[in-house]
Amino acid sequence: MLLLPQALVDGLLIGGIYITIAIGFSLAYGVMHIIDFAVGEWIMLGAFLGLYLSQWTQVEPLLLLPVVFVVFAVLGYLFQPVIHRVLSGKKGNPLLMALVFTFGLAIAFKGLGLTVFGFFSRSIPSAMAADSFTFVRGDFFVTIPVIRLIGLAYAIAVTLALSWILKRTDFGLAVQALAQNKEAAGLMGISAKRTNSWVYGIYVGISAMSGVLIGCMFSISAQMGGKYTVFSFFVVVLAGMGFLAGVPWAAFLLGMVQSFFLIYFDPGYTLLAVFIILYAVLLISPKGLFGKGV
Amino acid sequence: MKSAFAIMSWMLVALFLVLPQTAAAQRDYYKVGVITSLSGDLATGGNVTKRGYDLWAQTVNAAGGIEIDGRKYKVELVYGDAQSKPDQGASAAERLATQEKVDFVLGPYSSGVTLAAAPVLEKYKIPMITGSAESPMIWLQKFYYTFGTIPPVNYTGASPVETLAALDPPPKSAMILGSNDTFSKATAEAFQEAAKQAGIEIKKFNIVPAGQDLMSFMSVAKALKPDLVAFGGHDEELINLVKALLQINYTPKALLMHYGVTEPAFVEALAKNAEQVYGASVWTETVHAKGDYLWADAAAYAKDAEAAFKVPADYTQAGSTAAGIAFMAALGQIKAAPPLDEAEREALVKALEKLDIQTFYGRLKFAEEGQFYHANIGLSPLTVQIQGGKPVIVGPPSEAQSTPQYPMTPWEKR
Amino acid sequence: MRRGIFAFWLFIGLMAVVPAFVQNAFVLRIVTELFMWIGLAITWDVMAGYAGYLNFGHGAFFGAGAYTTAILMMRCGWTFAATLPVAGLLAGLAALLAGIPTLRLKGAYFAIATWALALAIQQLALVLDITGGPDGMRLPPFLHPVFFFYVMLAVAAVTFLLLWLLLERASFGLKLKAIREDEAGAMALGLNPARIKIQAFVLSAVPAGVLGGIYAFWITFIDPASVLADIITDQAMVMAVFGGLGTLLGPVIGAIVVFSFKTLFWAYLADYQVLYLIILGVVIALTVVFLPNGIWGTLTGQIQARNALIKGMAIDPAQGRHPEQGADSND
Repeated sequence: MLLLPQALVDGLLIGGIYITIAIGFSLAYGVMHIIDFAVGEWIMLGAFLGLYLSQWTQVEPLLLLPVVFVVFAVLGYLFQPVIHRVLSGKKGNPLLMALVFTFGLAIAFKGLGLTVFGFFSRSIPSAMAADSFTFVRGDFFVTIPVIRLIGLAYAIAVTLALSWILKRTDFGLAVQALAQNKEAAGLMGISAKRTNSWVYGIYVGISAMSGVLIGCMFSISAQMGGKYTVFSFFVVVLAGMGFLAGVPWAAFLLGMVQSFFLIYFDPGYTLLAVFIILYAVLLISPKGLFGKGV
Repeated sequence: MKSAFAIMSWMLVALFLVLPQTAAAQRDYYKVGVITSLSGDLATGGNVTKRGYDLWAQTVNAAGGIEIDGRKYKVELVYGDAQSKPDQGASAAERLATQEKVDFVLGPYSSGVTLAAAPVLEKYKIPMITGSAESPMIWLQKFYYTFGTIPPVNYTGASPVETLAALDPPPKSAMILGSNDTFSKATAEAFQEAAKQAGIEIKKFNIVPAGQDLMSFMSVAKALKPDLVAFGGHDEELINLVKALLQINYTPKALLMHYGVTEPAFVEALAKNAEQVYGASVWTETVHAKGDYLWADAAAYAKDAEAAFKVPADYTQAGSTAAGIAFMAALGQIKAAPPLDEAEREALVKALEKLDIQTFYGRLKFAEEGQFYHANIGLSPLTVQIQGGKPVIVGPPSEAQSTPQYPMTPWEKR
Repeated sequence: MRRGIFAFWLFIGLMAVVPAFVQNAFVLRIVTELFMWIGLAITWDVMAGYAGYLNFGHGAFFGAGAYTTAILMMRCGWTFAATLPVAGLLAGLAALLAGIPTLRLKGAYFAIATWALALAIQQLALVLDITGGPDGMRLPPFLHPVFFFYVMLAVAAVTFLLLWLLLERASFGLKLKAIREDEAGAMALGLNPARIKIQAFVLSAVPAGVLGGIYAFWITFIDPASVLADIITDQAMVMAVFGGLGTLLGPVIGAIVVFSFKTLFWAYLADYQVLYLIILGVVIALTVVFLPNGIWGTLTGQIQARNALIKGMAIDPAQGRHPEQGADSND
């Protein structure tokens, strides 16, 4: 019981990390219907850019987030036409071809990462990494690590910013129109190609920024991508594919399951529980937690 | 339909034509297979072993080669990436044995790959020395052609716990955890066994999924307040655990891990927060060792390694280089010039079994029987602690070069 | 079609005499592995290409088969041959039990649910005692390349023949395709989609289980990180999609091409660290960009276009040669 407040807080904080890795992906899926196997690799590349930039400039890595975002958003924007070509194949199943395309991309990025960054694990040194707030009342205590709190704040900020853009800007309306009906949107003068490029750019930029945050909390390596790809997929699907508002709740659910299992049950069964609960939720609610996925 | 089968047949024919590449029977150098994981989950360790093997080969060749009957023969390394997968390890072994016709093999980093590759090499009667496969399971299989220079973790794991128990006052309670992979689990179990022997109360013992975010689990530590936190895991997990303790802001009196703390990446990633972490090792660059082969002592080796790779050498790399030295010494004894035939390889195994030499890495002596069959038992397990950014030997007393710092300086006072 | 059957037997016959001419154990080993991947790719395609369901947990059937053989041989003292039917049956039973609830899901939800289930099974194997946990299981080495060559060839060939009969000759394949195109419509035609999908799921699982059983005895060591890894499904998927979905031959060709590339790069670029990973990834990605319908899909597309051209239909010759070039036009 002593640890109950801590378990709840930890669940939220772990959930925050899951939001950061899934929110951009959910947006990209909602608009482009792309299942991107390389999401973890974008996170990895972003993390290493953050590491090298902070080593080179000696600036606090968290302040470099906008730089990382811009670099990768441009990269994603320029890259999207290739994916677009794959996605518009007429025969067979374009969705699957995109899956295989990004799978190839992920392998190549990983090889590139191993060649350029080397094979050792690294860590992005943030001044915030060691700070924490501790609240004590009687035997109860809660420790909130600053860096994780920043992660959660970042996750919520990105989620709010994305929903604002989608609801309140012309660009957002174009994105929504595209997500709902490609042909009709085209008739209304919306360029699918350009809008998709922006969406893909934003998604890649967000994923890369998340990599920097992850590097401040954990270790990073050229091999790290796969792990994050899996969880990114899981959160997005649990939320309902393309349903942005569901992402935080799905992320918090997975976070809570982990923190409670680690603290109250046999930690060895943590991931088993995560996967079984994910499976069970999908059986009960086949279109994500809220039944609102596409 | 028909054309498809035709295409398939042609592709397969092309495959057959491309694949067989029989090595010339006559050569005046040793062809040495290297099976290790250059990619996949265990790429870090695999690449460190590769550096160890490479450094051995470079140094041997720079000196003209291995001397047999007054003539020097160079060595050539041929790599097979096991990709951290047992089946690829077996394929690599088969390729090196049949395509490349290697004389002997420098072996994998992980136990899974070793267990799959070893039977294949047994079949072709090709001796293998693995520089770093520390799972106790390997040696229980009693592979005749497989040797190892690094002792298994149940041989080394007890030392740091014994060093800690000898302190005054010693740690009274412990929380022990291990990642759920074969090496890490065995490490945690070795720590647990040693703690029991030393009379340290074990407040919690758990095996956690590999790669798990451990912050929540460390809040349990914060509640239980054990003096000692001991963790069996691989490089990135060790960094994650220290960062988790930092984030939850709990400093145990002693934090113990295994070989991973001697990897340069550990200190580089954590900087001041790596200070005072304990580890188990059999080699550091300051260890007392007088070498009769290639390097006169550990410091000389460390200097060459630093020059070659720009990072300090850890014991995995040293053990891998020592594997090459073991072959070199055994070859010198049986006086077999390349290429080796089956009888010569058989003699090589016999020579390895009898081998007892002093190297920069320490004494090399492979066990001939028992649970450590063919693992190196010539070394004494060391307790190391990160002091001033370097792993320093703090135990056992006969080997210690510095005193253990205990308890740890709290994170916020660093 | 008679010519097709003839070609099939010719191919099998050709393969069957390979060991007589190729004694090199390494070549036999990789061709054996190739047969295994052909089997995995075509069985994955049963669900993906014919029924339209992406099974991201296909590797779990393979792993279940591998562990069945390992456990029966090592803990119960069975002989290898006796364990194979059980490995297949168990995988089939697992598909039946998992399929009933899971096949109600659609699209990406089905894909992720099967993936979650497969990862749960991997975690289970990591914590159970009977599977040896993370230590895995060692089987007695039986290192006869020719034996495993023939066993894998036989299982892959029988699987191919069975799938060909059921999917291309019998009405079962048409029923599956009807469900893929329009499930409600299929029901209106008096089909029972739930039942047909489960039959297909079991059909895809049984051979995978048998292949897993052979793998365990062949490699002599299995652990959760190797036989229950995502990469098994991923690789089968890449091969099938690469070759062309919804055909039996597409995945076979995909398996041969992808596996050959992978193995050649791996074997001959091993001296250059992980360069082969970069090349392999780029080759996969580029092929998808330039052949967005898969190799076989593009090939048959070209044949169709050429035939159309011969018949004097109004097709632009340039387009006839490069049917994939029209892909950009639907912006």
